[in-house]
Amino acid sequence: MTIRGKIPFLAGTLMALGLGWVGFPYAINTRRPQPVDFSHKVHAEKGGTKCEDCHAFREDGTFAGIPTLDKCSGCHAAAMGTTVAEKNFIDQYVTPNREPQWADYARQPENVFFSHSVHVKRAGMTCESCHGPTGASDSLRPYREDRISGYPAEIWKVSGTNHGMKMADCVDCHRSKRMEQSCLDCHK
Amino acid sequence: MISEIKPIHAAKYGMTIDVDRCNGCGACMVACAVENNVPPAHEGATDRKGLTWLRVYKVDNGEEYPNHRTAFVPVMCQHCNHDTPCVHVCPQQAVDLDPATGVVGEMPQRCLGCRYCVAACPYHARYFNWWDPAWPKGMEKTLNPDVTPRMRGVVEKCNFCHGRWHAAKQLAAAAGKLAGEPVEYTPACVEACPTGAIRFGDLNNAASEPARAAKEAESFRLLEKLGTETKVYYRSKREWVREIAQAPRPRQSGKEIARG
Amino acid sequence: MKTTRRDILLFAGGSAVGVLMTPAPWRLITDSALWSENWPGIPRPARGAITAKYTNCALCAAGCAVRARCVAEQPVSLVGVAGHPLSHGAMCAYGLAGHHLPYHPARVTRGPVEEAATAVAGAMARLGANERVAVLDLRPGRTASWTYRRAMAAVKNGVYVEVGDVGNSAIDLTKARTVLSLSVPLLEGWGTPGNVIAARAGFHLIQAEAVESRTAAMADQWLRIKAGSEEALGQGILLALGGQSTAAAAEATGIPEQQILALASELKQNGPALVVGGAGSQSAAQLAAQLNDALGALGRTIVARRDAPVPDGWKKAAPAVDLASVEDGSIRVLLIDESAPGAYLPWSDVEPKLVRDNPVVVALGWTREGYGRHAQYLLPTGVYPEVAEDIPRAVDSVEAVFRMAVPLVQAPQGVVKPEEWIAKAAGLEVGDTLRERADAIHKAGRGTLFTYADGKSVATKDVKTDDFWKALQAGACWMDEVEPAKRPAAVKVAAGATRQAAGSANDLPLVAMLTEAPSSPLLSKIYQESNLKLGPKQVAIHPDEARAAGVEDGARAVLETLAGRIDVEVRVDASVSRGAVLVARRAAVLDVCGAGVRAKVVRA
Repeated sequence: MTIRGKIPFLAGTLMALGLGWVGFPYAINTRRPQPVDFSHKVHAEKGGTKCEDCHAFREDGTFAGIPTLDKCSGCHAAAMGTTVAEKNFIDQYVTPNREPQWADYARQPENVFFSHSVHVKRAGMTCESCHGPTGASDSLRPYREDRISGYPAEIWKVSGTNHGMKMADCVDCHRSKRMEQSCLDCHK
Repeated sequence: MISEIKPIHAAKYGMTIDVDRCNGCGACMVACAVENNVPPAHEGATDRKGLTWLRVYKVDNGEEYPNHRTAFVPVMCQHCNHDTPCVHVCPQQAVDLDPATGVVGEMPQRCLGCRYCVAACPYHARYFNWWDPAWPKGMEKTLNPDVTPRMRGVVEKCNFCHGRWHAAKQLAAAAGKLAGEPVEYTPACVEACPTGAIRFGDLNNAASEPARAAKEAESFRLLEKLGTETKVYYRSKREWVREIAQAPRPRQSGKEIARG
Repeated sequence: MKTTRRDILLFAGGSAVGVLMTPAPWRLITDSALWSENWPGIPRPARGAITAKYTNCALCAAGCAVRARCVAEQPVSLVGVAGHPLSHGAMCAYGLAGHHLPYHPARVTRGPVEEAATAVAGAMARLGANERVAVLDLRPGRTASWTYRRAMAAVKNGVYVEVGDVGNSAIDLTKARTVLSLSVPLLEGWGTPGNVIAARAGFHLIQAEAVESRTAAMADQWLRIKAGSEEALGQGILLALGGQSTAAAAEATGIPEQQILALASELKQNGPALVVGGAGSQSAAQLAAQLNDALGALGRTIVARRDAPVPDGWKKAAPAVDLASVEDGSIRVLLIDESAPGAYLPWSDVEPKLVRDNPVVVALGWTREGYGRHAQYLLPTGVYPEVAEDIPRAVDSVEAVFRMAVPLVQAPQGVVKPEEWIAKAAGLEVGDTLRERADAIHKAGRGTLFTYADGKSVATKDVKTDDFWKALQAGACWMDEVEPAKRPAAVKVAAGATRQAAGSANDLPLVAMLTEAPSSPLLSKIYQESNLKLGPKQVAIHPDEARAAGVEDGARAVLETLAGRIDVEVRVDASVSRGAVLVARRAAVLDVCGAGVRAKVVRA
């Protein structure tokens, strides 16, 4: 085959590679901003010092996840600073007492049982080891969601890390710690 | 992909059921369905196509009145400890025997619906979702968040209330208990039984009620000759009940009612 | 340069190779698998903080103590409260799924509330001298019952009709050593199930019944009598106790004379004895009372019981009467409270009591399966666990009790409170009657308060009035002090839900099973998806009867009685005796099986 004969083939390959590596990852996800421009950094410096201060554990060991509005309005009943983001937050959510519809970057499928208590309190893992350096971020990155499966895009790769939150990622770690027994350990 | 690693203290959860105490009220069946998000029957469901992880069978000694005697036998997954039939036959590796708890667990989301396990199970303890699960409008609010609802076309069964086991493990972790220590919890049927006929505990723990009761002379297991070494022990003073437990299918009062 | 067909194919081939080297195809495979996991229509359980709330089950008079596991305020499962002095932590299958009732498919949430009020007011204004306004209370003994009695005292020609009250006598099972049950479902939800189970080891149970019910199966002795011959057996025992001939009883019941004599002497010698049964008819109740009297049970196993104290201001109340004592064709306005599960009188008993021209019948209920089928107006009410209500005393609680079902979920918009609605229709001003009653009980200062959250008992005197009320709302039970056993003044022991039985030689006598309604749709586990109980639409007959009627197992058929016909599904069951039809009790069945229980199954 001549060089001339290879050009269409290579062009096809290159186009597919381009679409597959650049276009597809963009097109597969929808993206939307979080309802409030929240700064973990500012809150870590001025508010609590630990993640757990806001992302609290309940008495029965369950994890409350993203704090609800009453946690916020404890401090932000009136504006504490001068930022536009805070003013918007108070006007749109605190005053009308409306829960912000936060999107969860790490939302897992319904049949996953994941215990934060077991990983944080017993295994002593840090939040960052799975969730990445979210606590140091100054603004919330847009939430991306897979169009077909409906799961957050960061399940495939957590922003600021080189791992995801897929089952394979769980299994890798559990296998290395020799802590895998049964499907029902983590599935419900 | 289950590793062969055993934790430091493996539990072997098991049950004892006192057949002489069971009055067939069905509280365990309902509590089980509530706990495990089992939907109400589809219009076309019968006693053979329904979903009853735990089913109370009415059995009798086959004699005529006045020698006629009846007993009620709750039957759920017997959690075979040896040569577990459903584990062997599953082409999907959707079923496993957890070495840390002895629970035969199933992942309905992994199931492809071939029902080989249903045929293999000697205890009729596995159930197939013939229809989409459906709850009357609003009733989905009463679902238990600790258990995933299943879809049509998969098999499901008792797993000793693994949602409660998860919760107990989580609580133990939060309270600073070490990994690999067996936790204590109570499945829904045990909690619901008004006569205290069903007991649950760790058979490896000699102090537990089932470990003690399993050794009683009147204790027996279903179809012992199969060598499946099930972890659900029954007990009855009545000899005919102990004999029936070794029959392939529970004999039922009024055979016509059983529809085959 | 010209693009050839070959170039296009090469381009496509190159794309295919290239795309395999990107994440796209693999991701699409994963995604479609993930998509299929989230099958549309499969609900996602809501998540949230898990809390425990306490209440009392209002599905029957047992009023079992309940701990509700709530996720974000919504109850997701119920379980008994261990250590409760009466219910002992036990609950039945119906109670365990009681939190599903608000979402029952037969639930009504809308109704002609204003129209009904106008119609009632109009009819009451034009009331004739001999015409009556009546409240039919299907669950007497509640605080609301007092309101109805006060309301009926406040209107012209008002009459308060009660069904199935247990009166001021109680059965003390703990004192009994031999119990004869005349077809009473003693071990199937009778009385307070936990109490019966706790007392069970202490007595010898003889169950006389035509079918092998669960009680018969669990009894120490089962006497398979002919269907509908409970009263004949009772008569026989009475005669045997008096040393007379029991030949007639032996003939009627199919039990040999010798066995009846042995039974009589066992009841006499192995006392204290107790005979339960006889709520089916007046004569049966009388017979049971006679038997108990003859056996010396009155004052020992059947004892007098006080009522929970009532505010002094409530004493101006209409007397409670039976429906039978109301004149035929006299009720102009009939108000029926069926918001709480209770007894059911066949419509064929109720209808003759109404005036012939345009009576106003208002049913207040949460489901359209009861009197709503017959009334002009069905007004929607809340249902357990949406409403605050107290629960009448159970037949086997020796002391007076007061406990409430408290709202665990919000009732839908537009439902009425029957108590308020009826009081308003009668022009009676009522306040928070439950609070007033609780205060009156607290003021009397007797008894103890058992609180569920901590499982502790305290003397009523040691609790402040407000705390008493707060405790009752957070799940608690007040119990009167136990008095020395006294002989009840008048024995009126309704045996809870009994099987009704009567018969004629030609038709099949009907043997009703314990009531099935109201029940969560999940109760299909015990009747449709297993054979533990008869389903609400099923009847069971002996294979011989089925053959004679020409029906097969699972076939659609018609149950025919003197009062009407109803479509049923037949189950052929050898454990039902010949000459009997086993049915599940529900309103529609009772409507056709009310007057003279003679039924036969015919082909559809």
